[in-house]
Amino acid sequence: MQPLHLLDSQVRSLRQQVQSTETQLRNLKIQLQQAEQQCEAARQLEEAWAGGFPHEWINETLAALSPEAHQAVGQESQPQSTHGRWPLESEEYKRYGRQMILPEVGLHGQLRLKKARVLIVGAGGLGCPAAAYLAGAGVGTLGLVDGDTVEISNLHRQVAHGTDRVGMSKVDSAVEYLTSLNPRVNYQRHPYHLTPQTAISLFEQYDLVLDCTDHPTSRYLISDTCVLTSKPLVSASALKTEGQLIVLNNPPLPPGSSNGGPCYRCVFPRPPPADSVLSCGEGGILGPVVGLMGVLQALEAIKLLTAQPSPSSTLEPPKPTLLIFSAYSTPPFRSVRLRTRRADCAACSSVASITSQSLTSGSLDYVAFCGGTSPLDLLPPHARVSAAEFARQPRDGTNTLIDVRDETQYSMCALRGSVNVPWTGDAESWAQAAALREEISAAGKACYVVCRMGNDSQLAARALMERGLGADGGVRHIEGGFRAWREEVDPGWPEY
Amino acid sequence: MCAQKPPAGHFTILYFASASSYTRKQHDFFSGPLPISKLPDLLEERYSGIKEKVLGSCALTVNLDYVDMEEEAAKAEQCLVVQEGDEVAIIPPVSSG
Repeated sequence: MQPLHLLDSQVRSLRQQVQSTETQLRNLKIQLQQAEQQCEAARQLEEAWAGGFPHEWINETLAALSPEAHQAVGQESQPQSTHGRWPLESEEYKRYGRQMILPEVGLHGQLRLKKARVLIVGAGGLGCPAAAYLAGAGVGTLGLVDGDTVEISNLHRQVAHGTDRVGMSKVDSAVEYLTSLNPRVNYQRHPYHLTPQTAISLFEQYDLVLDCTDHPTSRYLISDTCVLTSKPLVSASALKTEGQLIVLNNPPLPPGSSNGGPCYRCVFPRPPPADSVLSCGEGGILGPVVGLMGVLQALEAIKLLTAQPSPSSTLEPPKPTLLIFSAYSTPPFRSVRLRTRRADCAACSSVASITSQSLTSGSLDYVAFCGGTSPLDLLPPHARVSAAEFARQPRDGTNTLIDVRDETQYSMCALRGSVNVPWTGDAESWAQAAALREEISAAGKACYVVCRMGNDSQLAARALMERGLGADGGVRHIEGGFRAWREEVDPGWPEY
Repeated sequence: MCAQKPPAGHFTILYFASASSYTRKQHDFFSGPLPISKLPDLLEERYSGIKEKVLGSCALTVNLDYVDMEEEAAKAEQCLVVQEGDEVAIIPPVSSG
């Protein structure tokens, strides 16, 4: 018979062993349950992907599926993952299912979209459709940059804005629309114009940038900043009935890496002359043309974001192309094969002169590079009249009004008795056309030249004066064109 | 724009965006073969002012391949020759949106 105290100690020891084994058993059961869940998920993924998916995609998704599984072993009562068995919430499967069942997207692609941060610069004709499709697709974070407010002339193409939001900031208006489209996205508002000083710190917060702006200065600034921050850039533009689309700086390797994708300067090293750059307000734009280009930007962004990450050194870099869309051409689409990076590019080559320092210090002047425009002031005072002054001229055939707007605008609205000689962009050819008109070449008549805004009319008036046309009656241009006519003389004149 | 083929001994030149506005045309047929470095002067003859106002900032392609005009000009006699039946495109940067 053992002494009582020894038996007591044996009971205590056995109790401890039972307790510890029970804890171990509980842990093992938890691990078993987790392993079973993972196994079931893997089985379902294998089944779903039996159609020939690369095996490494399965591994990547599995890793995303069970982030807790790796650390659970040996820990007591690990809480269930916050999202349960599946990496996405049930509503997300419903919302994104129609794109997820495409082999090009799949679960892995959807997870990459959810993780992605995309910056859209410009919330206009390109930015609205691009943002809508990216929000709809479930991009995790969408940043919008625009300093403008919604105007009624935007609405035929800028589909995220509405009549009741005229006057509102474009960023706020777009976020209102996008939130109703997909409230799950994290929207970041940047309601100001991009500047060289702030661009780098802004771009650094994102993975991918879309250039949806409307001017050469911002196009060069965005491209340079993408090179400096190593972000791929999806750039599009549109005017009248044509559009362009390029994926730039893809792959986004540091300046000097010849395998990196070309930047905007590699394709267009010299900006167009400032006085030839037309805005959509000046040149016109067909809504679906710019809409199409914005939708294509969203598509290229989705392709880039859902692509399987690969060791870039082993793969040949993607072939850069410039897509040109011309709505009234046959065929309407042309894809141009571009070169790689330019050996002497100012931004992305090994001899690049553009640095983060030159951007943030403001020493790089994009307005000067693109040639700033100042109001045209070509004519001496005696060759200018105000719209109000012109309205007081007699209408007795002693003078001729030359309207230099194009035929389309002239047929929208014109002053009775005026002569339409559309400005050709070139003084010589325009003067030749003008000389053929009897009303202009006839002796003794005063000539008044008018256009939409008061710029082309100065060029045309100068072309007449330099060639001695209308010399005896005098040549004058109407300051401010029909815009001034509307403000000073006829409020009923159409504002377009 | 230009579904039709150029006549024998000619190549097609397509004008996009501001190049189309400036020439008021969507295409022309020029007689070839023609060394590409001679094209700007030929266009200038026909469309006075086009070199300065349009071509300086344009991308130019031959049969959908980007051509660097400075590089070609530097090659002088050795530059690319546009052949009969080729398609040249003048592509100005469009910046609006």
